[in-house]
Amino acid sequence: MGVIKVALPPNDTNLFTMAWGYLSTISSGMKKTLQIFFVQITGREKTNTLEWPEEPATYGERFKGKHFLTRREDGQVRCTACFLCATACPAQCIHIEAGEHPTNEVEKFPVRFEIDILRCVFCGFCEEACPVDAIRLGPEFAMVGGPGEKWVYTKDYLADRQELRGGVTSVKEENDKHFTTDKNPRGDDLIASDAPHMHSH
Amino acid sequence: MADAKPKILMKFEGMPDGHSLKTYTAHGGYTALKKAFGMTKEAIIDEVKQSGLRGRGGAGFPTGMKWSFVPKDMPGPKYLICNNDESEPGTFKDRHLCQVSPHMVIEGMIIGGFAIGASKGYIYTRWEFQGEIKVLEDAIKEAYAAGLLGKNILGSGFDFDLDHYSGAGAYICGEETGLISSLEGKKGQPKLKPPFPAVSGYLGRPTIVNNTETLANVPHIINAGAKEFRKYGTEKSPGTKLFSISGALNKPGVYEVPLGYSFEKFITDEAGGMMPGRSIKAVIPGGASAALFTPDDLKGLTMDYEAIAAKGSMLGSGAIMIIDDRQSMVEMLKSTVDFFSHESCGQCTPCREGTGWLANIMCGLTDRTGTAASVDKMGTVAKYMSGKTICALSEACAIPVISYVTKYGDELKAYLAKGG
Amino acid sequence: MAEPTPTITFLMNDKELTVPKGMTVMEAAAKNGVYIPHFCWHPGLSIAGVCRFCMVKVEGRPKLEIACNLTPSPGMKVYTQIPEVKEAHKWALEFHLINHPLDCPICDQAGECKLQDFYMEVGKYKSQMERPKVLKPKALAIGDDLVLDTERCILCDRCVRFEGEVTKTGALGIFNRGDRAIVGTYPDRKITHNYQTNLVDICPVGAFTSKDFRFKQRVWFLKEQPAICPGCSTGCHVNVHGKPEVRTYFRVKPRESAVNGHWMCDKGRHTYKHLNQEVRLRFGIVSDGVKGSPRRRASFDEAIAALATKLASVDAAKDLALLVSPQYTNEEYKAFFEFFVKKLGVKKVFQWREPTEKIDEFDGLLYRGDHNPNTKGLSDALKAVGLSGDVKNGFGELAKGGNKLVIALAPEVAFQYPSLTAQLTSLSELDYVSLWTLNGDVFGMKGIAHAIPMKGYTEKKGTFLNYQGKVGELFAPFPSAVDDARDVTETVAALADVLTRAH
Repeated sequence: MGVIKVALPPNDTNLFTMAWGYLSTISSGMKKTLQIFFVQITGREKTNTLEWPEEPATYGERFKGKHFLTRREDGQVRCTACFLCATACPAQCIHIEAGEHPTNEVEKFPVRFEIDILRCVFCGFCEEACPVDAIRLGPEFAMVGGPGEKWVYTKDYLADRQELRGGVTSVKEENDKHFTTDKNPRGDDLIASDAPHMHSH
Repeated sequence: MADAKPKILMKFEGMPDGHSLKTYTAHGGYTALKKAFGMTKEAIIDEVKQSGLRGRGGAGFPTGMKWSFVPKDMPGPKYLICNNDESEPGTFKDRHLCQVSPHMVIEGMIIGGFAIGASKGYIYTRWEFQGEIKVLEDAIKEAYAAGLLGKNILGSGFDFDLDHYSGAGAYICGEETGLISSLEGKKGQPKLKPPFPAVSGYLGRPTIVNNTETLANVPHIINAGAKEFRKYGTEKSPGTKLFSISGALNKPGVYEVPLGYSFEKFITDEAGGMMPGRSIKAVIPGGASAALFTPDDLKGLTMDYEAIAAKGSMLGSGAIMIIDDRQSMVEMLKSTVDFFSHESCGQCTPCREGTGWLANIMCGLTDRTGTAASVDKMGTVAKYMSGKTICALSEACAIPVISYVTKYGDELKAYLAKGG
Repeated sequence: MAEPTPTITFLMNDKELTVPKGMTVMEAAAKNGVYIPHFCWHPGLSIAGVCRFCMVKVEGRPKLEIACNLTPSPGMKVYTQIPEVKEAHKWALEFHLINHPLDCPICDQAGECKLQDFYMEVGKYKSQMERPKVLKPKALAIGDDLVLDTERCILCDRCVRFEGEVTKTGALGIFNRGDRAIVGTYPDRKITHNYQTNLVDICPVGAFTSKDFRFKQRVWFLKEQPAICPGCSTGCHVNVHGKPEVRTYFRVKPRESAVNGHWMCDKGRHTYKHLNQEVRLRFGIVSDGVKGSPRRRASFDEAIAALATKLASVDAAKDLALLVSPQYTNEEYKAFFEFFVKKLGVKKVFQWREPTEKIDEFDGLLYRGDHNPNTKGLSDALKAVGLSGDVKNGFGELAKGGNKLVIALAPEVAFQYPSLTAQLTSLSELDYVSLWTLNGDVFGMKGIAHAIPMKGYTEKKGTFLNYQGKVGELFAPFPSAVDDARDVTETVAALADVLTRAH
C-alpha cells in the first residue's frame, strides 16, 4: 500500500496562469448566482424552493409514506383482520387484535390495529399482501414529533386522521361478498334462504 | 314374430273390473303361484334365469342373476321390495300396470319372495300416485283375505307379508339404495356400494329391489315357462315390454310390444303418428336421463336394449318422448337440468355442485347473459361430473346435457345470439 | 401352525404392497406413505364416500374408483398419480370450490384448511365459475363452543358421522338437497356435550370454528408441541399450540394415539389457559416466617435460599409435612421423595386431592372422574419410599396441626379443583407453608408465607401414568412462559445445593 496520487500538479508552473483559472471560474459562478438572485427577488420567476413546513409539500400519489386504513361504502373500516399484512411485515410492526363483529355479514373485524411506525421500513408489503385493499401507504411523508408523541398508530388514527379528510373509501371489488344481499341469485323458489332449524347467533 | 302384438302384461287392459282378484283368478291368476310352490327355490331362480328376463326399471340387469346373489344360508329375515317409485320424467308405464293388474305384481312378488327366501315384501310407490296406491292397497287386502298373503300361503308352509309404503316423491328414491334408505325412514339418499343390497340392504339384511314391471313378468314365466317367454323379443332382450310414449302424437300412451320392435313403426302405428303439421325434431328413447336421438338416428332402429345402446343412448324404462319442431331445445334442456339439480340428493360433491352449476349456467342461457363458451362449458362440466358418484344421477344429468350440447348446440347458441 | 391374519398383495403405483385382508386402499396407502387426497374419509369414522376426491385408477376397470371404499383384490393394480387421476382430482376440487365463499381472510381454518392444501397440491387453476354462488346461513351458534358457517361447508358428512358414531348424540344432520344442502342441528338440539370441539378438528374446512379460539390467532403463527393432557386420568395425547414469543398458549388439540384415538374432550382443551403468563405466578414469595409479617416478591434463588433457611431451622422428621397433588410427573415425585423422605426423613406425607371428586366416574368415551393425570404415578412413588400409596385427601390430617413447615405441591389445573380457593385458604392459616405452584392467585393470599413458581406441563419433560398404568411422555417442552419458573426436580436440586453449601 502506498499513497495513490489522484491529481498531478500542473506541468505549467506559471502562477498567473493557474490563478486566472480560479478567478475566472469564481466570477462566472458569481455572475449566475447574482443573476438568479435578482430575477427571483424581483419576482420575475417563481422559485422551486418550498418554505416547508410553513408551506405544504406533497409527493406523488404512489409515494409509500404514512399508512392509512380504507373504509367501505358503509363507512366501516375495510380491514377484516386477516393478519396477512402482519404476516408479510418484515419489521413485525403491525399488531392486530381481531374480534367478533356485531353483524353476521362482517363477522371478523380488527378491535385493535396498530402500527409501530418507528419500526416500519415502509416497504409496502402490507399493502401488497392485503386481499381487500384495506391498508395503503399514502403520500404523507412527514412524521415528525417530539418525545412525548405516540409512535404507535392506532386504528382510529390510521382510518380517520385529519389529513385523510373523513377517510378513504375503497370500492375495489364491485362484487364484494359483504354487500351481496341477494340471497337467491338463481331465482329458484326452492332455495331456502335460511334453514328452518338454525339457532340464531 | 317381431310384428306380433301379444298381450301378456296388458292382458287385463280394458277388461271390466280387471284389477279385482275375482277377474284375475278367473283368467288364470295365481296359478303360477301354485306351480311355484311345487318347485324348488333354485328351480324358480333357474327358470327366471333361463327366461333372460331383464330388469325393466332402466338398467336392464338380468333378474334371475340378481335373485341368485342373495346368500342362501344366511339366517334371519330377507326382503323383497317392489320399486314402484316411477319417477323418471316421461315414464308412466308402472302406474298403468298397477291400475290394470295389481294382482299380477303381487303374484310376482310372492313367487320372488319364495324364490329368494324373503318373508316380507314392500311395494314402494311414489306419493303422487294416489289412485294407484288405493288400487294396490285394495288388492293387498283382497289377497290377504283370500289367504294369498300372510301365514302358510295356500297350505305351502310359506309365510309372506306384503306392505305398501309410499315415498314422498323424490326422484332419487327410485334408485334401489335410495329407496332402501327412504324405506328405513332415513333421508332418501343412495348408499355406498359395496356392500350391495343383495347382501346388506334394508335394515342391513339381504334385500332384492325389483321394478314393478319386472315382477309382473314373473307369473307368466313360471306359468308358461322360459321358452314361451322367449318367444317374443330378441336373443339378448327377450319378452315383451311396456313403453310409455308422449309428445305431439295422435295416440300417446302405454303400449306393450315385444322387445326388438321397430321404433319408427311404434311411433306411426301404436302411437298413431305425429299430430298434423308437426314433425319430429328429437326423440328421447328412455326417459329424461337418456341421450337424444335425431330423426336420422331412428332409421331402422329397433326397440331393445342392445340396439339403442349401440346408437349411444339407452332404453331405460321405455319412456319415449317425442320433441316436435315447435318445441325449444333451450327450454327442454332447462327443465331437464333444473329437474336433476332439484332432485340431486346433495351427497356426492360432483353431482351436488355439478347439477347446480349446470342449472346456474342454464340460467345464463335463458336470460341470454351467457356466451357461446358457456354452452361448451356445460358439456365440459357434464363430462367431468359423470362417472364419479355413488349413484347414476350425475350421469342421468350429464348424458342428456352432453347430447343436447353436441347434437343441438347450434340451436342453443342461436338462442343466445337472438338477444334480449 | 396358526395362520396370522390373512394378507393380500396388490400393486400400488407398480409397487408391491402386502396388507391385511379387508383393509381399504386408502388405509393401505396411508400406512405405506402414499398420500391420496381426501375430505370425507377419516380414520376414526365410518366410510361415507361422498367427497369423491380420493379417486384412483384400477387397471382394467372403466371408471375411477374411490380409494376409501375400495378393498384390494390379489394382484390388483392401483394407480394414484397418473394423469387421468390428477385430472379427476382437479375437477373434484373445482366442484368443491365453485360455491365456496373463499372468505379465507376471516376464516380461522386458513393455514390448516384442506381446500387450501389441495388447491396448492392438485389445483392451481383459474376458477371457471362465473355465475353467482349459492349463499347459505353463516355464523350460526349451534353449540356452546361452536360456530357453524354452512357456506364454507363442503358437506363431507364427517361431523354428522361423529355425532352419530362417536358421541352418539346425533344432533347434526344434512338438510335440504342438491346444492341447497346445509348441515345443521335438529330442532332444539343444541350441541352441548363435552366433545364438541372435535367437530372443529375433523372439519376439513372452516365450517366449524371454536368460540374459544375464534379470531384469537392465525394458525401459522402458532408453534405446536406434543404433550399429555393433565385434565384427567385418561392422559390423552395432545398437541399444545402456543406462541412462545408472547408467552401465550392458544389451544390444545388431540394427537392420535392408542389412549385417546383421534379425540379429546373439551375440558382437556381448556388446560392451556392456566399456563399463560398473565395468570401465572411470575416470581417467588418470601417473608420472614412470622405469621402476618409482610411478604415480598423474590427471585427463584432468593426463594430457595429462604426455604433452605427455614428448612434448616426445623426438625424434618417431626415438624415438616409434605402435601403433594397428583399432577406432577413421575420424575418429579422421585426427586422430591428421594430428597425429603429418604434424605431428610420426613414422615408425614399427605395427598392433595379435591374432596368433591368422584374418582370412579367415567363418561364412556374419554373423560374420567379422577381429574389428575398422575394419581397412579404418585401412589407408585409413595410406595417406592415405603409409604402408603392409598388415594386419600390429606387436608384433614394436615389440619390436626403440629407442623412448623408444610411444603405443598399445588395442583396445576386449577379449574379441576372447585375447592381450591378453600384449600388454599386453609393452607394460608398454617404456620408456615411453602407453596410450589404456578397459580398467580396465591399472591393475593396474605397467609401464604412462601411460594416458588412452577413450570407447567408443557414446559417440562417427564412421564405420567394414566388410569391403566400406561406411560404418557412429555418430551418436547416449550420454553417456560415465566422466566423464574422451575420444575420440582430442578427446585429440589437447587434446594439440596443450597443446603449442602450451607453445611
